[in-house]
Order: sequence, then structure tokens, then C-alpha cells
Amino acid sequence: MTSALIFLVVVVVFIAWVASMYNKLVSLRNRFKNAFAQIDVQLKRRYDLIPNLVETAKGYMKHERETLEAVVNARNQAAAASKQAAENPGDPDSMKGLMGAETALTGTLGRMFALMESYPDLKANQNMAQLMEELTTTENKIAFSRQAYNDSVMGYNTRCSVFPSVIIANSMGFNQAELFEIEAPAEREAPKVSFS
Amino acid sequence: MAAPSTHTMDFFERQDQARRSTRRLIAYFMLAVILIILSIYIAGITIFFGFNVNADPELPFQWWNPDLFLWITGATLCVVVIGSLYKIFALSKGGEVVARWLGGRLIDSSTSDPQERRLLNVVEEMAIASGTPVPSVFLLEEEKSINAFAAGFTPADAVIGVTRGTLQILSRDELQGVIAHEFSHILNGDMRLNIRLIGVLNGILVIAMIGYVILSGTRTSSSRKNGGGAAAILAFGAALLVIGYVGVFFGKLIKSAVSRQREFLADASAVQFTRDPDGIAGALKKIGGLAHGSRIQNPKAEEMSHLFFSDGKHGKASPFLSMRNRKPPVQTHSAFSFMATHPPLEMRIQRIDPSFDGTFPAVHFPSKKALETRDPKELAASAAQTAAKSAASAPSGGAPAVPLIPMIPQQMTQLFGKLTEAHLAYATLLLAGLPSRLTARVREPASARIIIFALLLSHDSKTRRAQFQLLNESKDPLVSSEATLEASTLIDRCPPEARLPLIDLALPALRTLSLSQYQDFTGLVEELMKADQKIDLFEFTLQHILRRHLDPHFNQTRPSAARYGSLTPLTHEISLLLSRLARAGQDGEEQAQQAFAQGVKELKGSRLKLSWLEQEDGFEALSKALDRLNRVTPLLKRRLLRACGVCVSHDDQVTLREGELLRAIADALDCPMPPFLPGQTLRSAEIPNSKSQIPNKIQH
Repeated sequence: MTSALIFLVVVVVFIAWVASMYNKLVSLRNRFKNAFAQIDVQLKRRYDLIPNLVETAKGYMKHERETLEAVVNARNQAAAASKQAAENPGDPDSMKGLMGAETALTGTLGRMFALMESYPDLKANQNMAQLMEELTTTENKIAFSRQAYNDSVMGYNTRCSVFPSVIIANSMGFNQAELFEIEAPAEREAPKVSFS
Repeated sequence: MAAPSTHTMDFFERQDQARRSTRRLIAYFMLAVILIILSIYIAGITIFFGFNVNADPELPFQWWNPDLFLWITGATLCVVVIGSLYKIFALSKGGEVVARWLGGRLIDSSTSDPQERRLLNVVEEMAIASGTPVPSVFLLEEEKSINAFAAGFTPADAVIGVTRGTLQILSRDELQGVIAHEFSHILNGDMRLNIRLIGVLNGILVIAMIGYVILSGTRTSSSRKNGGGAAAILAFGAALLVIGYVGVFFGKLIKSAVSRQREFLADASAVQFTRDPDGIAGALKKIGGLAHGSRIQNPKAEEMSHLFFSDGKHGKASPFLSMRNRKPPVQTHSAFSFMATHPPLEMRIQRIDPSFDGTFPAVHFPSKKALETRDPKELAASAAQTAAKSAASAPSGGAPAVPLIPMIPQQMTQLFGKLTEAHLAYATLLLAGLPSRLTARVREPASARIIIFALLLSHDSKTRRAQFQLLNESKDPLVSSEATLEASTLIDRCPPEARLPLIDLALPALRTLSLSQYQDFTGLVEELMKADQKIDLFEFTLQHILRRHLDPHFNQTRPSAARYGSLTPLTHEISLLLSRLARAGQDGEEQAQQAFAQGVKELKGSRLKLSWLEQEDGFEALSKALDRLNRVTPLLKRRLLRACGVCVSHDDQVTLREGELLRAIADALDCPMPPFLPGQTLRSAEIPNSKSQIPNKIQH
């Protein structure tokens, strides 16, 4: 009879153990999902800034319509991609879609800023300078929240692949999450406005 | 109107009462387990006999079978104990676990959604008014009903959750009422009790689960070989299921016995606070009138029903409440009302608003279009209304804070954990007075760190240079001396009493840092503090508060349950704390020692052998001391805090700086102390008002 009792204890403890591993995975997953929400907030800010930027630039860069339109299109695509990613944070397809769209957006922005160099009036425009400043700050914040997201994704991924949680991870639907890496933006310098 | 208990009991006594309720809970629980064991045994013995009598009809009915009894007792105890311990352990990670369990989504502290922003503003005001850290707020998006909950072990790890219905249907005043109710739970110590309830009852629920599992297992099993045995197992499984539900029944009884009174208490505290009862009464009435009522769809809500603002039983689907105007003025007693975790809705409303006639307003969920067009105007209007109300009821004397606050320690502890309308008005004004750039920054993780760094900047130029260098060495582009200096300039425009609230405001954003970001952050905080070789006591308390409120979230250290029932094992810690405070509060060694002696007297600690400790460098020891002192029971904490008050005061008065120091120490002990109001007297007799001549420190 005692052996049956011991067996029961072992079974119950085992179940509790599995349950706690499951819960740990769930909480790590929630953590990175939350972290993604933080990125989303900053991305939205960026997407909101860009139309203003383009509007201000339009007044000066009258013959650069193509470039400006490319920026607006890239921005719209990135906004759509981010919405999709927000619904499945960490899902490899959505994340890759977002990363691609973001890289494209950074590329078009870079070209726009390169062109701006030939429009000193635009560079000196107060409004423009402020918008650029906000853009830089927002991008720094994006980088910051990306770092937080990646940290939590790594924590989750590690837990998924480490013994003993690895045993239950796959069977219970915990898949590896995708990191949010952005290729280092090409040397795009925020134009330094000087009032000399 | 308010229950008499809120007048005679102070914060510490209410906390103590919550603790004692926990003991009652354990007692009921043990009783329930015994009854369950007996029930299972009787079921087991009957089945056992039933099958043996088939084989041998002459067998006499044997009531007592010691082996079986032992087996059943052992098994049941194992299951129940392990089930309970597991749940308690799972929940011990703090309120956030509970919130996510119920499907909550964290509301970003820098949100620009008008309704979420409004909710967060209400929560921030309430936190500052009561001196608690600002809790994280979760949104139960899928729930259209009106309901809210608070969960967590201490004010430090508390979270608040609201349903989407609450967010969108209630007015700002009603929101305040509901949030005030939840804060009362936090301040009364109910949350720890509630979480224990969930944990403990889980053990009983496990039995029903096992019965269910056995039943579904045997039903799907295709083996018909062992006909008799299978039937026995089936019968046993069914019996377990039934017994399990009996256990659930007991569970509900226990929950209701413990939590109903606390609901009335929380309502009463909230009403005392808002003084205008329309807020919470309005919310309750809207619950009655809404088709969804306060029903929570999520099935997990049942085991946590006692955590919620309303019992989730109202609404169309409930057979116990007839809708709309057909409601009779007297509350209906349903057959199961003694098992309710909450007092009946009508009774709650009547206690607050005696003129309530039982008719609920018709409430509709706002259409999407209505939501979008309504918000900006309504928000602007209500914001203006709130500001006007606050200005009207704010304590007189919008003059800068009086440098000296009269204070008698006994009266000081009366204030703890109390929500008053004056404090809320003060908090609203304080928040409104902060530069908007500052409040925007403190709500975002990256810039919130900068605010903290700025609070640690020294006034000594040499030290400041060293600190700037440290900041510029950081690899993070967002961390720089310019950014910190700018933040510091903004902070200087605020009154000195804004420092602690700023930290409290920064906490929700800081909680969203990743682990390595947090470690970098605390590392830099540590270095900034060490920069001047000599750490100010106030600086130390800032750091301690940060650590206390953030470490558990990141390292997931469980709040230790071990409690000190007496001060005797802590003589060294107490001596350390009082000596430090006395020295910080007085000029000169001699006065400090006198203050220390008075503090000891206040503590009635002559038997404790407290000794004056010489000045030592570093705050490690004090930090550990505070951690240990935090585990003392509530009534002992009250004595301790009074003694602390005596040590820093001179002639029954404290300077603002010392007052803030006291608030910080109180915070470190998880006892929320509300801010000092300008012109406030914490003394039975008024002191003559001699504003202009009062020096910064009293001369002895």
C-alpha cells in the first residue's frame, strides 16, 4: 500500500512539475509579446512623423516627386506589415515581413535625406529640423525597445530549447520566436543645422 | 453610512485583520479537507463493500477498514496539499500572473488612446494621493461587462485590471469610484488574502478534476475485459467528481465567509475617499443596468470571482436578476446568496445611496461610432470639471509648501493607507503642475531611466562632472549628460515633494525593461550614487525604493512569507535604522543621541536593548535591515514607524526633507504614507501661523 501511495505522490508531483514548466513558458512568451507592443508604439510614432516630413519636404524638393512618393509608399507598407506583426508577435513570417518593410523604408528615407543635401533652404527650415530631431529620437527609442524585445525573445527561445522544458515545448505549441533585427542603417546622418 | 470599522481601525489594524482572516481561512480549509476525506472514505468503503458482497453475500458490512482509511487519507492529503502549494507557488510571482491568466493585456504607460489615457491618469492620481507605487494596469479586452480587480501581494507588486466595458462605459467619476475601491483592497491587505484563497481552494478543486479525468478516461477506454474492476473505477471516479463538487461548494462557502465583509469595507473606504458617492454608486448602478452586467466570460474567472469588483452574476444570462425597471425595491434573496462572494448589488448601492429605489438605468454599450466622436469632447469637458473641482477643494494656501510640518507620531500613523479627497485633489494638482515634457518622459522606459539619473545628480560640481562622465560613457545613445541635464532642469521647476511621486510614476515604464536593460540600469544607478563617495540618506532611500519595487519583478523573487511576530530578533536592525534617522534629522551628535533615546522610548523598547550605533559608511547594512524589518507584522510596523517619526522630528515638527525621508522609509516597509499637504497639521492643536519667520530648521 505504501508503494501505491508513493506512486501517487510521484505522479502528482510530476504533473505539477510539467504544469510549472508550461506556465514558465507561457510567461516568457507573454513577456516578449509585451515587449513587441512597446516596439509597436514607437513604430507608430515613426509612421506618423513621416507624412509630416514628406509634406514639409515637398514644398522645397519640387522635382523629386519620385523619391518622395517612394517614401510614402514604403511607409504605408511598413505600417501594414507592423499591424500584421502586432497580431502575431514573434511569428517568423510576420516578423520577416516587418523587417523587410522597415529596411525598405529606411532605404527610401536614406535616399531622401541624401537628396536633401542639395537643398540648403530645406535643411535650414526650422520645422524640418525639429521633425528630423524627433525622427532620430524615435529611431533611438525603436532601437531601445527592439533590444528589450530581442532580450526577451532570447530568454524564451533558450527556455524552449533547454532541458527539461524542451520535452514539452514543441508538443504544447511553443515554437521558436523570431528576433527583430534591422540591418544597420546606411550611414545616414541627421543633417546638422547650424545657425552661424 | 460608512461601516464603523473604517473609523476606528487604521491602516495597520486593517492589515492585521486581513492577516487574521487568513488564519480563519486555513481553519475552514482544514475542516473542509477533513470532511472531504470522510466523504471519500464512505464512498470508498461502500463501493468496496458493494463489490465484495457480490462475491460473498454473507459478508457483514464493515465500516472500519483501517488500510483503506489510511490510504484514502494519505492520497487525499497529498493531492490537496500539492494542488494548493502548486497554485500558491504559481501565483506567488505577483499580480501580473493573475492578470494574464484572466486574459489581460498590459496597457502601455505612454498610451495615446484617450480612454486608456484617462484610466491611467485616474490610477496615477490615486497612487500619488495614497503614496503607493503606480501599479501596472491590465485591460481585459474580451470582456464587455463592467468589472475590475486588484491582485498582488503587496502594494509594491499590485496590478489593477479593468474590463473593456469599464473603460468605455463609465464616466471619469465612476472610474474613480471603481479604482478607489480597488485601491482600498490594496491598502487593506486584501490581495494577499485573496491570492491565498485561490491557492488554497485549488487543492480542493483538484479532487474534482481527478474525478473528471477518471470518468472521461474510463468512458473512452475500450477495454471490457475487467468488467467488475472497470465499473469500480468508474464508480469511484464518479464519486470523486461528486465529492470534488462538494469540495467546490465548501470552497465557495469559505470564499464568501472571508471576502464578503471585505467588499463592504472596500466600498466604504472608497466612498469615504471620494466623499461624493455618485462615483461608485453610479458604477454599481450601471452594472445593474447593463445587459452584460459584470459577467466575465473567461472561465478562469470563477475561481477568482472574489477578486472582482462585482460578482459577475448580473446580466442577461443570470437567472437571479430580473432586468431593468421591473426590479422590486427590495433586494432579492436567491437560494444561493449565502455563497456569494459579494454582497448583493442592491444592498451595496443602498448602503452608499439610501435614496436608491431599485431601478437601474438602461445602459447600452456605446457603438463604435459613438466612441470615436465622443471621446475628445467628453474628455476635455471632464478634465476641465475635475480640475475645477480639485482647485475648489484643494487645501487652502496655494503658497509653496510650508517648510515645517507639525507632527505627532501617533497622529502621523493615522494617515497611513488612507485615501482622502484632499489628498486626491492635491495629487491631481501636483500631476497637472508637472511639465508635460516631464510626464511624457517618465512614462516611457528609455527616458524614465534618465529621470531617475537626473534625480541622483549631485549639487556639488565636482561630483556632477564625474557623474556626467559616467553617463557619457554609456553605450546607449539615449543616455547622455545632456539628456540628463535637461531632465534635471525640468525637475528643478517642480516642487521638492514631486521627487517621490516622480519615482512612483516611473515604475510602470521601468517594469517593461528587459532583464539585461534593467541590470545595466541598476548598475549605472549604483555608480552614480557612488560618485560622490558619500551617499546622502535620501539618495539611498531612492535607490532602495527602486530596488524594492523593481527587483521582485525582474528576479521574480517571491515575497517571503516568514513573519516576525516580535521585535526581539531585530534589535540590531532597529538600532541601525533609528541611529541613522536620528543623525539625519538632527544637527550634532548630542542632539542625535537624544533623538535616538526618544525614539527608543516611543518604541517602548527598553527591554529590547537598543544601542546607539556609530556612523558607518555604506548603506548595505541598512538596506538589509530594511528588508528584514519589512517582514514584521503590521502592528509592530506601526510602532516602528512612530519611533522613526520621533527620531527625525524636533519639537514635534519635521522639515519637508525629513518628511520625505519618512515617507521613503515607510515605502520601504510597504506602508504607503500619503504626501504631506500644504498647510497640513498633524497635531491636535494648531500652531500659530507664522509663515514668514519660520527658518528652515528649528534652532534648539
